Amino acid sequence: MSMLSSVAERLYWMSRYLERTQDTARLIQSYNHLIMDIPKGAEPPWDIMIDILDARLLFRASFKTGSEHNVLKFLIADNKSSCGIPFAVRAARENVRTTRDVLPEEAWELVNGLHLFVEDHAKNASGRRNRHNFLSEVISRCQMINGLFAASLPRDHAYGFIKLGRLVECADMTTRIMDVGARDIMERAGRLGAIDPLLWGAMLQALSAAAAYRREVGPIIEKDAALNFIFLSSTFPRSIKYFVRETRKELMRLNNHDLATRAVERLSRRLARLDTEHFSSVELHEYIDDFQLQLISLDASIQATWFRWERV
Amino acid sequence: MSKPWSRYSTGHFFDELMTPHGSPRVAARRAVNFFKSLSGGEMQARRTAAALAIKEMGISFTVYTEGGNIDRAWPFDIIPRVISAREWSRVSQGLVQRTRALNCFIDDIYNRQRILADGLVPAEIVLGSDNYKAECEGVNPRFGAWAHICGSDLVRDHRGRFFVLEDNLRVPSGVSYMVENREITKRVVPELFRNYSILPVDDYPLKLYEMLSALSPRKVKRPNIVVLTPGIYNSAYFEHAFLAHGMGAELVEGTDLMVGDDDFVYMRTVDGPVRVDVIYRRIDENFMDPEVFRPESVLGVPGLMRAWRSGRVSIANAPGSGVADDKVIYAFVPDMIRYYLRENPLLHNVPTYLCMRARDRNYVLKNIAKLVVKPANESGGYGIMVGPHSSAAEHHKFTRLIEKDPRNYIAQPTLSLSTAPTYVDGEIQPRHLDLRPFILQSKDSWVTPGGLTRVALKKGSLVVNSSQGGGSKDTWIVEGKA
Repeated sequence: MSMLSSVAERLYWMSRYLERTQDTARLIQSYNHLIMDIPKGAEPPWDIMIDILDARLLFRASFKTGSEHNVLKFLIADNKSSCGIPFAVRAARENVRTTRDVLPEEAWELVNGLHLFVEDHAKNASGRRNRHNFLSEVISRCQMINGLFAASLPRDHAYGFIKLGRLVECADMTTRIMDVGARDIMERAGRLGAIDPLLWGAMLQALSAAAAYRREVGPIIEKDAALNFIFLSSTFPRSIKYFVRETRKELMRLNNHDLATRAVERLSRRLARLDTEHFSSVELHEYIDDFQLQLISLDASIQATWFRWERV
Repeated sequence: MSKPWSRYSTGHFFDELMTPHGSPRVAARRAVNFFKSLSGGEMQARRTAAALAIKEMGISFTVYTEGGNIDRAWPFDIIPRVISAREWSRVSQGLVQRTRALNCFIDDIYNRQRILADGLVPAEIVLGSDNYKAECEGVNPRFGAWAHICGSDLVRDHRGRFFVLEDNLRVPSGVSYMVENREITKRVVPELFRNYSILPVDDYPLKLYEMLSALSPRKVKRPNIVVLTPGIYNSAYFEHAFLAHGMGAELVEGTDLMVGDDDFVYMRTVDGPVRVDVIYRRIDENFMDPEVFRPESVLGVPGLMRAWRSGRVSIANAPGSGVADDKVIYAFVPDMIRYYLRENPLLHNVPTYLCMRARDRNYVLKNIAKLVVKPANESGGYGIMVGPHSSAAEHHKFTRLIEKDPRNYIAQPTLSLSTAPTYVDGEIQPRHLDLRPFILQSKDSWVTPGGLTRVALKKGSLVVNSSQGGGSKDTWIVEGKA
């Protein structure tokens, strides 16, 4: 049985928005932890998160200063901002509403439950006191939904497009965090050398990579090893290498995959040439910039091939 | 707590479950006795259970308001309406007869127009109607069937006689609620099903599938059937999804379909175009094909009419069917039955005054306070004036409307609609109701056992539409002695 292009498209976006919700929550959570450990004056600015999400213009439209209060309001409590958690959750829910037929029955309940939870609590969650509990709850609800899909979806088109959405969104977020986060750490290198490991640790934390890194690499966190791990670990499911491998696998199962697989091959070749040891902050930025462009082209070819094709 | 039934009185109306003497009708005896045995607290508990089931099952309908669309839980009364199978079989035959005649009429109108030539129906009221679609002329759908799904509204008068109030031949809705109402009753009063032999209604999606399959232009084992919906913001979207799911068919919007250069209809899938054989259309025909009808429509599929006219796809209901769904044409249905089928009508029509006729119009204008005035071309209970329940200002307003556009108005005597015991405000009270059975027509004819009973929850009200405060009841057709 085939699947309507429009249904596939909604599943893909549902999955991207759910992943975005979870990743944004993790990003805030890890920054939150970090800030408490760093001597006053040395911490990276709060609005670095705005840069990670590439939302400077949007943010400036509503807020003057990048204070903790404003940034958190923008990301957690603001109902209208298209970069905030409430928006992503709403978008995920709208996409599930019209694809309930191809999802397990509990999917709607869980996603709707997440939506109701965010509606009820986001307003009061931007302050330091409630922030942690709110974000943890959001993260665990997202994990529950992922768990449901992993455990009960037949491995057909629905599963395939959900997985693709998650992979693409995750790669997008991972590279954004590395671009802005790693650059910030590298540019201040030497000036505050003592807290560098803390900052790299926070970055791994934001990528949910801290525990996996410790097991695979060891407890000492330093620049080269951290970058290497995020890009090239073949076992860590949020690494770029893992993303390329799994995406290729999913695409191969679909008809007409030539255009999209070519985009993945380009990503794969770039990854093979990567040498993290001699990266300057400028080189890292250029590398990720180029990677992001290829990612956009992959996303566009998925849309053009399976969602928005005109005629054959 | 007082006994919920203690003050029940049928008044001068026909009551579905009770005789004027206050005893239950034969078919309803066990049901009534059962509900009478429940205390006020127990009734309340069952009602709460029903509300919970409705929420869990996600049964909702959408109401359009100025503040946006609201999804409301389905209003449901736990006391079923009971009709004996013997009585129903006569009604059911009458409905089949009527739908056959209506289909003969539509087929005739778009082809030879015999009935107009013979002067039985005035040509100008048919050909001058907005519902007459010249684009349908000369088309011959399979089995001569145009209106494949018909939802007729039935009411009963003070003597209990069934009358057809209107025939909905465009995109009648409500059938999913008929099925869900039964599901709720099974959960809430399971005891009752032990002693009753109630005809099942949950096979409707299957019957619909069989009817639609027979329309397929391609002789394959499993033709590709799609349900075409205007989308999630339509008030009947729940039903569209329900029926698609029940038939294992795709639920599509206009943008999911396209017409190829070969005039076949295809759906866009991740594996490329897949040919569609039958479209169960739940969008208004005026929005169906921007190439032919409203060019600004984004809900439709460009080229769909072309594909249908060439016989490469079947559409149910066929475009143009609405020509027989007009309250003026309604007045001629008994004549159609005699004309096309050479049979006597088995079901009554409500006497209808056509304001386009001078004599009828004079009568209507003189007696407007006693009559129900309806626009010829609206559905959902909109634009209706019930004379006895309206103010002098409204009478005046409708007098002017009729004088301005007599073709667009009909009037009927106010019927004393039947009532049934309904649980309202902790008491059992009589409430007026109607019944919408669904008739399927392609190779064979089939009628739902029962249908959707809609009930006016406001005391004395005759308006049963869910968009205007109506509720619904499960409808039982029961076999054998109860």
